[in-house]
Amino acid sequence: MSSPHADVQPVDTRRVDAREKVTGAAVYATDLHPDQLAHAVLATATVGRGRITGLDTAAAEAVPGVLLVLTHLDHLDLQSPGFVMGGGYGVQSLQPLLDEHIAYRGQAVALVVAETLIAATQAAKLVRADYEPEPFAVTLDSPGVERLSQPAVIPLPFLADLDVGDAESAYAAAPVQIDAVYDQPAQHQNPMELIGATVWWRGDTVVVHEGTQNASAIRHGLARQLGIDPANVEVVSPYTGGGFGQKNSLQIHIAPLAVAARRLGRPVKLVVSRTQLFHHTSFRPASRHRIRLGADEHGRMLAALHDVEHQTSRFDLFPMMYTETTARLYGIGDFRGRQTFARMDTQSPGFMRAPFEHPGVFAFESAVDELAYAAQRDPLEFRLANDTTADPVTGEPFSSRHLAQCLRRGAKLFGWSARQWQPASMRADDGSLVGWGVAAGAYPASIVPSAAHLVASADGRIRVGVDGHEMGQGIRSAIALLVAENLGLDVRHVEITVGDTRVATQHLTAGSWGTASTLGAVHAALRELRKQLGADVSGPVDLAAAVGATGREHVESRAETLGPGQTEQDAERARQGLVALAGPEFTGYSTFSWIAHFVEVRVEPTTCRIRVPRVVSVADCGRVASPVTAASQVRGGIVWGIGACLREAGEVDPRYGGWLNASLEEYPVPVNADIGTLDVDFIGEPDLRFHPVGVKGLGEVSMVGVAAAVANAVYHATGVRHRRLPIRIEDVLAGTGLPEPRL
Amino acid sequence: MAATEPVYEVELSCAVNGEPVHVRVDTRESLLDLLRERLGVTGAKKGCDHGQCGACTVHLDGRRVVSCLTPAVQAAGADVTTVEGVAGPDGELHPLQQAFIDHDALQCGYCTPGQIMSGLACLAEGHAGDDDEVREYMSGNLCRCGAYAGIVAAVRAVAEQQGR
Repeated sequence: MSSPHADVQPVDTRRVDAREKVTGAAVYATDLHPDQLAHAVLATATVGRGRITGLDTAAAEAVPGVLLVLTHLDHLDLQSPGFVMGGGYGVQSLQPLLDEHIAYRGQAVALVVAETLIAATQAAKLVRADYEPEPFAVTLDSPGVERLSQPAVIPLPFLADLDVGDAESAYAAAPVQIDAVYDQPAQHQNPMELIGATVWWRGDTVVVHEGTQNASAIRHGLARQLGIDPANVEVVSPYTGGGFGQKNSLQIHIAPLAVAARRLGRPVKLVVSRTQLFHHTSFRPASRHRIRLGADEHGRMLAALHDVEHQTSRFDLFPMMYTETTARLYGIGDFRGRQTFARMDTQSPGFMRAPFEHPGVFAFESAVDELAYAAQRDPLEFRLANDTTADPVTGEPFSSRHLAQCLRRGAKLFGWSARQWQPASMRADDGSLVGWGVAAGAYPASIVPSAAHLVASADGRIRVGVDGHEMGQGIRSAIALLVAENLGLDVRHVEITVGDTRVATQHLTAGSWGTASTLGAVHAALRELRKQLGADVSGPVDLAAAVGATGREHVESRAETLGPGQTEQDAERARQGLVALAGPEFTGYSTFSWIAHFVEVRVEPTTCRIRVPRVVSVADCGRVASPVTAASQVRGGIVWGIGACLREAGEVDPRYGGWLNASLEEYPVPVNADIGTLDVDFIGEPDLRFHPVGVKGLGEVSMVGVAAAVANAVYHATGVRHRRLPIRIEDVLAGTGLPEPRL
Repeated sequence: MAATEPVYEVELSCAVNGEPVHVRVDTRESLLDLLRERLGVTGAKKGCDHGQCGACTVHLDGRRVVSCLTPAVQAAGADVTTVEGVAGPDGELHPLQQAFIDHDALQCGYCTPGQIMSGLACLAEGHAGDDDEVREYMSGNLCRCGAYAGIVAAVRAVAEQQGR
């Protein structure tokens, strides 16, 4: 039988929701302006830690248009949502506005609601609080920081110390050694969309519109906080204006907004200001890494010890998994990992793109570069010589590992063979010092329970309601392409609903498991749909004809899928809005995504300004589910790595607490002019052992290793190694021995 | 103090995407908040409210401004154009909007309205002569997703179509 789709055009791979985004038609959570909308603004604490001894809201309440000022004196009657990484739902366990204690500077002390944003803003500035201050600590080196070994306080297998072989003895015996400490600052995700929400009640149901990566946590967490049935919480988030980990759980303003909306009987909107945002939600914790590496005379790595400490809050332990990935980069037989908390007085830190892998791999891949130079080897050859096919931690094979291919192809695209080994030996025509650096990256592959609901219609269209969130990574496009290719449809005939608790569970989308998990469910639902339609198991389907032949308007299918080795218990956790994660270790294999980055820097010799004119990155993410959006994801990861290496640091003042540079002016992120040519390529080998359509994660691995490649290039350009990020002009100036600039 | 309460409200007339607007505004109100919270024109986005990110970029009499730092009263008598006013009346995309789609010059889409408005201005100003010039003149618009390469390619593609 000849296919009616024989003349189908090649599938349009462009981003499927791009038109809405270039016309302003995409509606984000705080674009809503329902009737009777009231506006909320936060007032925040001005001490680093302490107790509120007096609170005066009279002046605020007197501002014309002010409707409500909520403080801890108003008995909000909210439970803690629990910490998202401690069996709960919240960005932190501490819910402000419940009592007089101030745990960190910038903690909310009042929520002011008014008829207009102007009135709310004016009134919030008039809230006066008196404090009895208490001592606090805000840096890794502050007195008063409490250190706790991770396995001692969270005895879970995946957070345990890592001991493979006898790393201390192997290191001690190694003829070539590196022992270095790498410092990395706190950083702030700063998605362009400010954290904010529009909240109202419809009868007994609270409706929350917020850009999120985890509608389900908002649903179940808010229900817990308010003491209501989760069935009475509806969360809608069709577009999230960037997440990067910051929007991965229930934010602290949602419950107070729900209380305000209920008391007023009106919708309430809050947009947290950029400056408050630095204090309001999660951030990447500062971390310090001591790396010890040993190699033999032939450039074979023998031992690695990775000791890391990172900051956490006084009230939550943000668990860390740095060594999980650094232990997998190379075939090092003896590995030791130790991870330690440093508790201090900030809001709880949390996930920010490649949360552990970026800092961990920056440290590790910097040390590997140092070791390659100490062993008088080319840094690319050195890495290739230490490749492995087996997971050194478990001894099992990797389900796929094409890192060497990434390195070789990247080297060719970059022109690595023209590199001179000697540092500070390459110059551009304009006199700039030229440096070429390489680094590898990896990211654990995880998978979560997922659900999909397909509705095929007699008009030939198909609606897909899925478990997943669109933060710009392109999950809609990946779903649309899978459905279109599977059924032989035009992608424009696929309609997708994501981030909506009315259509599916909405498990947290993060950790690069989103696409793989969601596509697994969609794939299973497509199989079921084909059965319902009586269609073959593969090949194009004339959807209109097939639905028509059933005599019905619509044919539906549903699927719920689990990751390899997961059980009904995991599915139940997901239904409760909890994180239910499998991987990267599975029965018989381990799965990671891999990447290689090649970076050119130019260092202007008098100002020591570092520029990055070009980067080549080659990724192994299994099957490339959506080529256009995948390439954009990698380019975005490179931009993040450049920012992390050369620009971004959350600055704290030990005298006052809080974040000093809490704006996009003083917390610089890369701008257009900072970014040169970015060449991205993929290996594209499906990993069918891990996943039914061969997809591994991509968004996070894209960033992993970029900062190391940049720093390694700076070393190659200048001959000076920088072990503290970000690397700034003054660091390079100091390293070159040029005179300090006079101010 | 109470005897001399300042008067904050004034009448404002302007045009937004060709539509006449008459409204009482608070003199402390930004053009961005007027558009978003009063007029329901939400294409322009709030990313910082301090003129640091460019997500709120609109055209005021054809010139790009950050509407968060533009008092609403400054729009008196002016033509305000937002991203909603860029496509043709029949919904036909402007070539720059199409180029943004074709070069995947966006990810989450939140900065995109501002990028489009800046990109149009960049072209109109004659600042799209080569990639580096576009990078420089588009650097007032942050994109945290890092879609810069696509943005440069999109603006340049339209510049070439226009024969600049």
